[in-house]
Amino acid sequence: MPLTFPQRFSLRRFTQGEMATTSAINLDHRRIFILPSRSGLVLALVILLMLIASINYNNSMGFIFTFLLASAAQVSSFYGFKNLSGLTIQAIKSDPCFLGEKAYYKLSIKEKEGRERWAIYIQLGDKVECIKNLKPNQVITLTIPVEPKKRGWFSADTITFFSYFPLSLFRAWSPLRFDQKILVYPTPSANKLPLPIVSIDKAEGNSISVQQGSEDFDGFRHYQQGDPYRRINWKALAAGKGVFIKQFTSPLADEVSLNWSSCHANNTEQKLSQLCEWVIKAQQDGLSYSLKIPSSSYDANQGIQHQLRCLKALALYK
Amino acid sequence: MNSLTKETVITPLSLKLLLICGFLLVLPHIANLKPEFIVISLALLTWRAITLKFPQYIPNKWLLLPLSILLALFILKNFGMSFGRDASSSLLIVLLALKLLECRKSRDVIATVFIGFFVLITPFLFDQSIILALYSVCIFLLLLLTLLINTTGQKTLQSFTLFRLSATILLQAIPLMLIGFLLFPRMIGPLWALPDDASNAVSGISDTINPGQISNLALSSATAFRVTFEGEPPEQKNLYWRGPVFYETDGIKWQYKGNYKTAGKLTHSVKPIEYKYTVIMEPHHQTWLYSLDLPNHKVANSKLSEDRQLMLSKKLGRTLSYTLTSSNASNTKLTDTLKKRSLNLPKNTSDNILSLAENFRKNSSNDLETVNKALQHFNQQDFFYTLKPPLLGKNPNDEFLFKTKQGFCSHYASAFTVLMRAANIPARIIAGYQGGIHNTLGGFWEIRQADAHVWVEVWLKNSGWTRVDPTAAIAPERILNSINLAEQLRVGEVRFNISRPDGFMAFTQQAKWLLNTIDYYWQSGVLAYGPENQAEFLNQAGIKGWEDMVKWLTIFSIGFLLLLIIYLNFSKKTKPDKAQQILLSFCKHLSKRYGEKHPYETVSDYFDRVKKQNSKLTTSLNIINQNYLNCRYGRADIEPFKKSVKAFNESLIKFK
Repeated sequence: MPLTFPQRFSLRRFTQGEMATTSAINLDHRRIFILPSRSGLVLALVILLMLIASINYNNSMGFIFTFLLASAAQVSSFYGFKNLSGLTIQAIKSDPCFLGEKAYYKLSIKEKEGRERWAIYIQLGDKVECIKNLKPNQVITLTIPVEPKKRGWFSADTITFFSYFPLSLFRAWSPLRFDQKILVYPTPSANKLPLPIVSIDKAEGNSISVQQGSEDFDGFRHYQQGDPYRRINWKALAAGKGVFIKQFTSPLADEVSLNWSSCHANNTEQKLSQLCEWVIKAQQDGLSYSLKIPSSSYDANQGIQHQLRCLKALALYK
Repeated sequence: MNSLTKETVITPLSLKLLLICGFLLVLPHIANLKPEFIVISLALLTWRAITLKFPQYIPNKWLLLPLSILLALFILKNFGMSFGRDASSSLLIVLLALKLLECRKSRDVIATVFIGFFVLITPFLFDQSIILALYSVCIFLLLLLTLLINTTGQKTLQSFTLFRLSATILLQAIPLMLIGFLLFPRMIGPLWALPDDASNAVSGISDTINPGQISNLALSSATAFRVTFEGEPPEQKNLYWRGPVFYETDGIKWQYKGNYKTAGKLTHSVKPIEYKYTVIMEPHHQTWLYSLDLPNHKVANSKLSEDRQLMLSKKLGRTLSYTLTSSNASNTKLTDTLKKRSLNLPKNTSDNILSLAENFRKNSSNDLETVNKALQHFNQQDFFYTLKPPLLGKNPNDEFLFKTKQGFCSHYASAFTVLMRAANIPARIIAGYQGGIHNTLGGFWEIRQADAHVWVEVWLKNSGWTRVDPTAAIAPERILNSINLAEQLRVGEVRFNISRPDGFMAFTQQAKWLLNTIDYYWQSGVLAYGPENQAEFLNQAGIKGWEDMVKWLTIFSIGFLLLLIIYLNFSKKTKPDKAQQILLSFCKHLSKRYGEKHPYETVSDYFDRVKKQNSKLTTSLNIINQNYLNCRYGRADIEPFKKSVKAFNESLIKFK
């Protein structure tokens, strides 16, 4: 997408980058900027002193080496640019996380010009990662740990790629923004309240009988994705018979009903946090559970997909 | 992939490289600077080298700070506030070593390398030889490599890539450097007065002549200057390179006073023969220039004095090249002041000298005859030309003429001048060089310090100031042949090249000429490129004045940088490696029958597609695929892959 005239010369483009995008960004003349680093400015001063000395003594060799140094510094800036140019960077969908945990922002960095790259730094907020060496045509996935401050969608700020290569005299940088978000679930509550289990035969919404999942063993079946690990028949697995799951049937055919009103927490965040904890617990125990919060409600169900749906609803609750 | 910023601790590799640079940078200064500074910096460097093995000896800042102050005071005590060549070089090498000792972080390496770049140009203030220049280019490359290693944080030198990259940067910097060198406007003279250290230990003709001094020069092989003639050069015996003119003497030594009256026109009775030539003068830290006999005109930034000396306003501290025309015409005018100065007899002139002069004058009808009588006296009496004359006392002229009768050119010239003045003929001493070696390879004349010579000019009514060389009367071979320095050094006595060298001697002479020729082009092409040459050179290209130079400097630099950008970004698209090339041609081969490989397909996917169409190929394609993956992504050799492809192609032919 070509830039408009004011866009092209806005200061934001040099510091924060262009509009966020979901697609891969190719680093090129438009994206890479280069200016002398602090060391580069110090060298300029050294070159000036060398020049004064050469003029003072009218020394031909002094002139030659002074100009050689200045020229080498200038030439090095092109290699600084080339070190970043031609990289393709794309933000990859990252796994959701719980608030308070670390999330990992993932970037795919692809070298496609068949040149070796050196010492590229990637900055996100106050985190700086370094790729010391990238081989020709190598593709790597870089994970930057981030700590989201609130639940919901976390979107990264400007990610700056920069490099002092080759001589530390110039800083080439490229500010990038990606439209790739990380889903942040509420923090699971720390107080381990028991799951609210409701018996089917009892009238809906009446008393809430709390029972621990006292289930009866019912046999084995093959492992399916999303089954809780604690039910894997480890003995069979160790014997090399394959992955089997112990099946239980609850004689009561209980169902967990996670309800906004069933939480006794004080505020919304604590309620969400409690519900979050219950969703995880119910999934771990292999129970069927329903979720009802003011913005949305899910019928009783099991499995990883159901859990993710519920957690997402909790994360995005407003 | 750990977090890495400029605060990182340096790698042992960059420290090692830095230490090597440090030692190499101090090395050329060994002959130039006071030994204490060399010892201090080498000691500090060695200390740092030891800490590579024993890190516990790294000094902390409570030791470094007093050490630095102490060393600064030491330098101050040695040089005071006069900050010239010696002081700044000493300061810089000590600073370099101190900074290296303190080097802990990545940015310290950068600072040390920067100091290193500055130190790199300091030896050139003492000597600008081609060897030193090549040596410095190597250090320059090493310094670039150190910066590169430091920036990339590499721990080993395994990969050759970084070395190649620093060499590439150096090579690509050369054109831009040349543009700067040629076009950066040069200024004349120092920006501030240089301390006198710049003239230390330069051999050559000085502003006093005492009889023993020229004979010291006779053993020096150093080049004084080089000359190329446009057209035929004069004969060897007429190559008198005229330098300072001496009038004043106390009877022991002669003192140069200079003459600041500008010259008048030369007069001549017959049409003179003119010689045009270019002199590449080495820095001799004196204010005069040398010319063949009498120069017809002055050169840029100089004055031509009344007695036809080329004089500079400042001492010459750089290589200078100038073009002159000389003729064998003479100057007939004799002003009163000059007459007085050139007839002034020293107080210690003995009666013997006066009566000898009187004797010459009485027996001749004119001044010319008197001069010839005196020359005959030297020739007929048993005077002896030697490098090792006996020591003379308070009245050297008298002792030489009547007792020892052994001497070098300065003895003869001095005694002859006093004799002439005693005979009432104006006479003065000229110092300079006589002869030189013709380097047939480079087509130039090389005048060495060993060719230093002193002769006399007398004023005669008809011909004006006339050159008289009393040495020629005693030792004509001195004037007719060039000095054989090697022989002279061996024997310690005057020797000349009378016979042509043969055999091994001829070979060594050729080799010497070759080296001298290289040096000549170095001197005239590179070192002599100063303000005068720049103006002349750029004038030919139509670039006049410094504004023009700056303009073209900018245009050329930007032009070159644009070219380089184009070259770097558009020239080389990456070539697939050998295995890839073979595979691509193989796939093309297959595509004739089984359809093309899609860009999104991997090799394995494509082969699977082919196998579906022709199951007979399964085994051989599997082998090829395995070999390809092994050699391209694994560590296997490329040969099995090549062989399997070849075998496949052969079997394909069989199928047909």
